[in-house]
Formats: sequence, structure tokens, C-alpha cells
Amino acid sequence: MALTLVSSNKCFDGFQKVFEHDSTELKCKMRFGIYLPPKAEGGKCPVLYWLSGLTCTEQNFITKAGSQQEAAEHGIIIVSPDTSPRGCNIEGEDESWDFGTGAGFYVNATEDQWKVNYRMYSYITEELPHLINSNFPADSERMSISGHSMGGHGALICALKNPGKYKSVSAFAPICNPMQCPWGQKAFSGYLGSDKSKWESYDATVLVSAYSGPQLDILIDQGRDDQFLAAGQLLPDNFIAACTEKKIPVVFRLQQVCILILSLVFV
Amino acid sequence: MSDEDVEAIPPSSFPVMLDETTKEYLFSTDEGTLSKASAETQVPTAHLDIGPEGLSFYNMDLYESQERLDIFTEELPSSRTEDEQFEAMEESNESRPRMEEEEYDLYTAEVSEMTRQYGIWDDKEDMEMGFQTQEPFVMVTQKQEPAVQNFKTWGEEPVKGEPKDRGAGEKRGSIHKTPAVDEGGSMETHQPCYPSEEDEPQSHEQHVGVRQYSEEAFEEEEWKEEVSQPMKASRGDTHIGESTGRWRDVFCMECRIAIRAFDKVFGTHKDHQVTKLSIAAEDTKVEIHKTMCKLEEQIAQMENFASHLEEIFITVEVAVPTVERTEEYTASDPDLKLSASLEFENDAIDFSDVRQMMDSINIVPAPSAPVINPQTPNSATSTSVRVCWSLFSDDTVEYYELYYNPVLEGTTAEENEEQDASMVKVKETYCTVLNLVPNTQYEFWVTALNTTGISPASERAVYMTVPSPPVIKKKVCRSCLSAALIRWESGNTNPVDTYTVELCEISRERSETAVTESIVGIPTYESIIQLLSGQSYLIYVRAVNIGGPSERSDSVIIYTTGTLFHLNEETAHSSLAISEDGFTFMFYGDEYTELNDITFSDNAFSRCVAIMGELIPIRGKHYWELEVEEQTEYRIGVAYEDTQRNGYLGANNTSWCMRHVTTPSRHKYEFLHNGSTPDIRITMHPKRIGVSLDYETGKLAFFNTELSQHIYTYKCHFLHYVHPCFALEKPGALTVHNGIEAPEYITFS
Repeated sequence: MALTLVSSNKCFDGFQKVFEHDSTELKCKMRFGIYLPPKAEGGKCPVLYWLSGLTCTEQNFITKAGSQQEAAEHGIIIVSPDTSPRGCNIEGEDESWDFGTGAGFYVNATEDQWKVNYRMYSYITEELPHLINSNFPADSERMSISGHSMGGHGALICALKNPGKYKSVSAFAPICNPMQCPWGQKAFSGYLGSDKSKWESYDATVLVSAYSGPQLDILIDQGRDDQFLAAGQLLPDNFIAACTEKKIPVVFRLQQVCILILSLVFV
Repeated sequence: MSDEDVEAIPPSSFPVMLDETTKEYLFSTDEGTLSKASAETQVPTAHLDIGPEGLSFYNMDLYESQERLDIFTEELPSSRTEDEQFEAMEESNESRPRMEEEEYDLYTAEVSEMTRQYGIWDDKEDMEMGFQTQEPFVMVTQKQEPAVQNFKTWGEEPVKGEPKDRGAGEKRGSIHKTPAVDEGGSMETHQPCYPSEEDEPQSHEQHVGVRQYSEEAFEEEEWKEEVSQPMKASRGDTHIGESTGRWRDVFCMECRIAIRAFDKVFGTHKDHQVTKLSIAAEDTKVEIHKTMCKLEEQIAQMENFASHLEEIFITVEVAVPTVERTEEYTASDPDLKLSASLEFENDAIDFSDVRQMMDSINIVPAPSAPVINPQTPNSATSTSVRVCWSLFSDDTVEYYELYYNPVLEGTTAEENEEQDASMVKVKETYCTVLNLVPNTQYEFWVTALNTTGISPASERAVYMTVPSPPVIKKKVCRSCLSAALIRWESGNTNPVDTYTVELCEISRERSETAVTESIVGIPTYESIIQLLSGQSYLIYVRAVNIGGPSERSDSVIIYTTGTLFHLNEETAHSSLAISEDGFTFMFYGDEYTELNDITFSDNAFSRCVAIMGELIPIRGKHYWELEVEEQTEYRIGVAYEDTQRNGYLGANNTSWCMRHVTTPSRHKYEFLHNGSTPDIRITMHPKRIGVSLDYETGKLAFFNTELSQHIYTYKCHFLHYVHPCFALEKPGALTVHNGIEAPEYITFS
């Protein structure tokens, strides 16, 4: 499908671009940001998919994270998609900031109202990689995924549900156990209905307990003073406990100061 | 000179008189009679009877009795014995002041020459001449040109001091003994008859004044040589010159010149006896004829004598050592009475003199001091040195004696000399002296010897053996990808000058390992050597002193595939036990610490049960791994060398560590520096932890090597070099693995 360049900025000798396209999964126009490092001009580069959190668009990461410098240094393409379909005119999509627009929760919705457009899981795991691999010098063998908060949740479940697809997964203050926290419960009940068995397939903590596949290397950074942590929205301990149980290597860093450090491990 | 003077000569004072009287016998003060020089040389000294002109006369009557002498000497004292004869012969070589008759005419000059040549003289002649001298005949060795001779007055003086009661001229033909020479012991007073440099060229080693048969034979020959000397020129032809113009028809018997009658009356010849010249001439002719006959006989005798001499020579040569010993023995106990036969005793041949005489025959002087060379570089080993010296140009040398002494520290030069020096006899001008002590200085000096004697010692030269090879302390060598730190012990009790490190790159292509690099001039016991990464090296050390380099030490193999360090046992807490190989340490718990293990070393950790490694002080990348059990509680990391020994790793700002403790509910991991740590949760408990240190980027990273999982990275720019540190929080064990190539994934820490 056709990509429309929305913007292009030279950044650390590479290019920070934004494209728009018609998404087949989401049945709407979608934008995504892509940082192409200088190395991309000479060859294929590994790709990091960054999933933003609640209320974000494709812009937040581009403007706030300051990741371009590291990306340029290490020769990594960073793709930052939007967090939900937009302009679908679904009733109630803008009612709350933590559900609907900007809060796709990276699931494929099953409830009637949302199931046509809100298929963020497939978009992220299928459509978007195809698009990127076809249009950009991306090394399809080397993909990683990361995210913040809701995006962290998204990253974790994408990795856990697709063993071997991603080389590494890391998350900043992810929602680790959505079934147990208000955000998750609200979102899942809205998108997936009340059958909690359906929720399990989108809950990282549950998924990891049943995980079997190639070794994962999970890195989680969490701000110690994150209010949402205190509010019980994130629940990393549950996840860690499950990983420990399952002997899934996780390094969980509880950061005193919330500094976004991009540490990428490619194997 | 009056008759009174002559007769008044007391025998006992003969030698003294000899000097004076001979001088007195310079009858004519005219030119050409007796040169002053020759006069003065007439009697050198009592001990060395070198005659004025170096003529040596041998009485040919060596074997016969006095009767032989009587041919020449009519009034010989009958008391002369055969023994005396021998003695006389012994002394025949002694120089004596010779009476010199300067004045004679040309005719007699030739005759005199011949007679002189053959040692023949006619007493009658003397008498006819009215020659009154009783001067002893001095046998001189031919040294200088005999001034003038013709009719010599041969005085005879018995060695034993027999009274000299001869008339004028009676002494001629007899053997004169140097009065100064006594039998036996007094011979020692004779100086060796080495010709000194001041002697005339023709004269050499004619030893004079020593009674030796053998010498006579040789001197005989030389005496003949002398004949050719232009003595004649000095003969008193000039006498004639003094003619006043009037015919000389009178012959002065005393002066033996033709003079004018007038002169007899006035002038120097006043008191002399005279006769008619024609008569004198006739007498002379007769005399000459007789002389010639005798001469023939003498020749035959001489030949006889020569062969006898040879026999004696050989006998003497063989007997010398025996007599030497006897002599020594005798010398030590002067009162010793020899049981030898009287005859032998009487002969009392002094073999030392005989030997000297024999040696001198060679006409070879004792050598001059050799010149010893300084030590050539690389000519020494740890137990030997090669000493070289050179001959003083014209010397003849039979062999050398090389002496040496070790130079002891703390002794003075005098004390050194008092030691007994070792000696080696060497024929060549070099010698490799063995069985020496390594790294030691030795003083060498050499003397040269030939049959004549021994040279003065050469200057002393100091040679040094090379040191023993050093011993590399393999256990404390460290290395990394780009360098190695080698430490060694001297291997010598005394200091050496420097050390040399040699490297051999071990390569699979080349089977032999050749030295690829040498580092010289190392002043201390360690060295950091830059190397290429990914290689194997053999490293040797040599000790060097002024003698040269030692043999190679045993080698140490260094691999530059990773960082290698050892644990510094000095820093270990007393409760830590270290394995044999030095890479595992165990903590059994405080209750198991033996009291005698508690060392209150300043360098040991006292509270934290820790130990520090010794990392090579090279900036760059280092990597090592640790092996633990899942339940092991540990602190592992790095610290500055001077980190507080009474502190805990990570609790201060001089150390960084990863800490693992277990609680009943979970494992706890901390990354401590300056007492603080981030909150880190690890789901998999590492059993093998990789530690990566990168000075350049200022990073210290920890990995779970089994999972290739990065755990944590410190970012700190180290101000000083750091060392790996390990501690155990509760009983357990920890093993260090190093020399490992760092895995790839650590680059992304």
C-alpha cells in the first residue's frame, strides 16, 4: 500500500520521518514515525518497534524520548506507531483517556462496537512489520519491541505471544498484569467482553506462565516513585514472580530517578 | 810505580789493592796507553769481576797440575794443589783487573794479539821485560773491548789466600782467583752475571766471577770473538808518537816502550829499568816463538777441555735439582754437615750458580711484565671467564702463570692480596678459567716465565663472571589482551646491573621459537611488556652484569587471549582459605578460623571476608568470570588498590560490587557503590557471572554468562587502576576463571 510522507527531518545524520497510510487492519488512516539512522543508507538495519502508552500518538516518542542519537549510533531503525485507530467515529471512543482513542491496549477487540477498528494487536504484529520491511531497509530477521506503560504491556504480550519473533523485549513501567489492575479491567471488559478467559491471552503475567519457546531476555525499568506503580496499576512484582517461577530471565530495574535509558540487547 | 809498591801488596787486601794497583799500573800517561775509561773499568766491584775490556781468559790447564802452569810461571808456589786448580778454574771466568801494558811497538803488537787471543803468555817475557807486577790476573768476560793488551800481567792469587810470594811476572799464566770470591758460601755474593744494559754491545751474558766449568767453554768462544775487536787500534802505537825526534834505542822494561836514553835520565822513566832495544827485540822474538809452540799445544788442550765441559754440563744439569734441595736444606740448617765425601764437599759446587750460568748461556733475559687485557664482552659464562693478555714484544716466554683471586666485598686491597691466589699454568696468551662463582669479580694478574726467570707481575685486571639466571615468579605474572607484567627474582645473592627480557612468539606455522623481541636495561625485578592480542608468547629473563648476560631463565608462557590475574593472598581475610591453584577460595565460617591463621597484616581485609586480585595496570578492556552456587552469598566487583581494608566492598566510594544475598522469600541482588544500590530484580540466579571492565568507556558490567544476559552496568570513570575483589558473606566458595576471551555480547553492555 502506498505510504505518504508526512514529514521528514534530518536528525543525527539520519532522518526522522512520519508516514501515513491506509491501514487494512484498522480501516483508517494511520500514521507512524520512523527514524532511519545513517547506516540505513548503506544497508539493512535492525528495527525496534516502540509502542507508546496511554494518550500518546506517534509524535510523543519522537519528540520526547531523545532516542535518535542512540539509534543513530547503533544503527537502529525505530518505528513508533500510533496507539490506536483514529477518526473511526465509534461512539464513546473519546470519552475517557484510558479507553478508546489513544488507548488501544494492543488487543484485537471482540466486542461488536470495537472489533472492526480496534485490532491494534494484528496491526502491530502483522501489518506494520510488512509495511516496514517492504518499504524500508529493514532487517526482517532482527526485530525488537519495546514500550512504555500500555505500550510496555503491548510489547510484552507481543513478544510472549510470538515466540522467536522478537530478539529482545523491554518495557518502561509496563502494565504487567492488566487483568488485575483497573486500567486493564476497564479496557479488557470494553474490548473483549466479560469473559475473562479471553483476557488471559492479552495478559503478560498469564502469558509468561504458559510460555514455552526460545529464551527471552526481558528488561523492565520502573520508576520507583511512579504514581501508577503505587496505585497498583502496573504490578510488576506479579510478572516477576511469574517469570521467576517459569525461569524466564528478566532483569527488572527499579529506578530511583526516572530516566529513560535505551538499552538494547541484540543477539 | 816502584817495586816496593808491587811487592808490598798484601794478599789479603788483594781486592782492594787490585783496584788501586791496577790503576797504578797505568804507567804511561801518554795518550793511547791506557784510556781513562778502560782504567776505570778494570775492577768493577769485588763481587763481580768483570774485567775492563770484557776479555775472558781461561787457563787452559784445566786438568793438569801445577806443572802445566809452570810452563808459564816459573815461580809458582808449590803449595798449589789440584783442588786449587779446580777452584781456579771455577773462577777463571771472573773478571780481574788486568794489568795493561800499553806501550809496545808495532811488532809486538801483533804478537801480543795472538798471545792474548790464546791466553798464552810467557813469564820469561815478563821477567825480561822487567815487569814487576804481581797483579793478579783478572779473568774478565768479554764485555768491552779490552783496551790494550799485549803482555798482560797475570797475577795469580790463590783463592784461599795463600801468600803471594812471587816475583815479578811469576803470576802470569796462572789462574787468578778473585780474592773476593770465597769458596762455597761466598759465591752467593756474586751477582748473577746478567749483562746489564750498560755493558758494551758485544758483551752479553758472560757471567763473570762465577766458577763454572761450563761457562768457560762458552766464554772461550766468545773470547775468541773478541779477538776481532778492534782493540788494536787502541794499542799503544801512539807511544811512538811521543818521540821527541831522536832515535829511540833504549827499551824501558817497565813501560815497555822504546824511549830515548835521554828520557831515562829525565822524565817519567827515571826509575825504570832499561835495556838495549835490540836485545829487547831479540828476546821478544824468542819469546814469541815459544809462545807459538805452546799455542799449538793449548789448542789441543782446549778441544779436550771442551768435550769435558760438555760432560760436566750434563752432569751438572741433572744434579742441579738435587743440589737445589740440598742447598735449601743446607740453608735452613747451616750447621748441617753433609755426609758427602770430602772431595765432594771440597768441590762444593754451587749449583745455583751453575744453573744461573747455564741459563745465562741462552742469552735470554727474563721477560718483562705481560700486559693483561680487559675483559672482552660476552666472553664469560656464569662459571668461567676467558682471560687474555699479551706478550711484551721481544720477550721469549716459556709459559705463563695466571693468578686470580675473587674480589671480596668489604675487603681492602691489602686484604685481597693476602688471600691465597689460585694459579694456572698456561702456554698460550689466553686461558679460560673454570669453576668460578657466578656474578663475582675476580682479580687476575699474570707473570711470564722463561729459563732465565720470572717476569714482574702484570697489572691486575678485574674480570667478572656473568650472573646466574633469574627465576621468573610465574604465579604472580599477569597479562591481558595487549600486555603482560612479568616478575622475577634475581637468582643471585649479589646485585646485578640490569635485566633483559626476551620474547618468543609461539606460532603454529613455525615450530622453532626465535626471539622476536628483547627489552634491555631493566633496572628492577619486573617489567610490563606490550604484546599483540590473541598470541602466545614464551618469555625469558636474563640478568646482566659487566661480564655479560646470564643464561636464560626458565620461561613463562603468556597468552594474550584474555586477562589473567592472580589473587593476592596478602589481602585475604584471615577466614578465607585459598586453594592450591590460587583461584578458588572458601569461607568456612568464623568458627572454623584457626587462630594461627589470623594474620594481622596491614594489607588484609579485616571485616569483609574478602580478597583482592592483582590486575595488570593497563587501561583497556578486561574480562573475567566467577563461578558460584545458587545459594552463595557474595560480593563481587572491583576496588582501588587502597580501598579500606576494614570496610565492606561496595560500602565506600572506592569499590563497586554486585551483591547477592538470599532471604527466605527471595533472592536479593544489589549493585553497591558508596553504600547505595539500584533496585534490581533478577528472575534467574546466575551461577556464572561475567565481569567486564572497560577503562576507556568507564564501564563495569555484569552478565549471566549462561544466559548471555546482561545484568547491570556501572558507569564510572575510574580515577586509578582497580583490582578485582571478591567476598563471601556466609560460608561458601567462589572460583575465579580468567584468561578467558570476552564473549561478543558484552560489547553491548
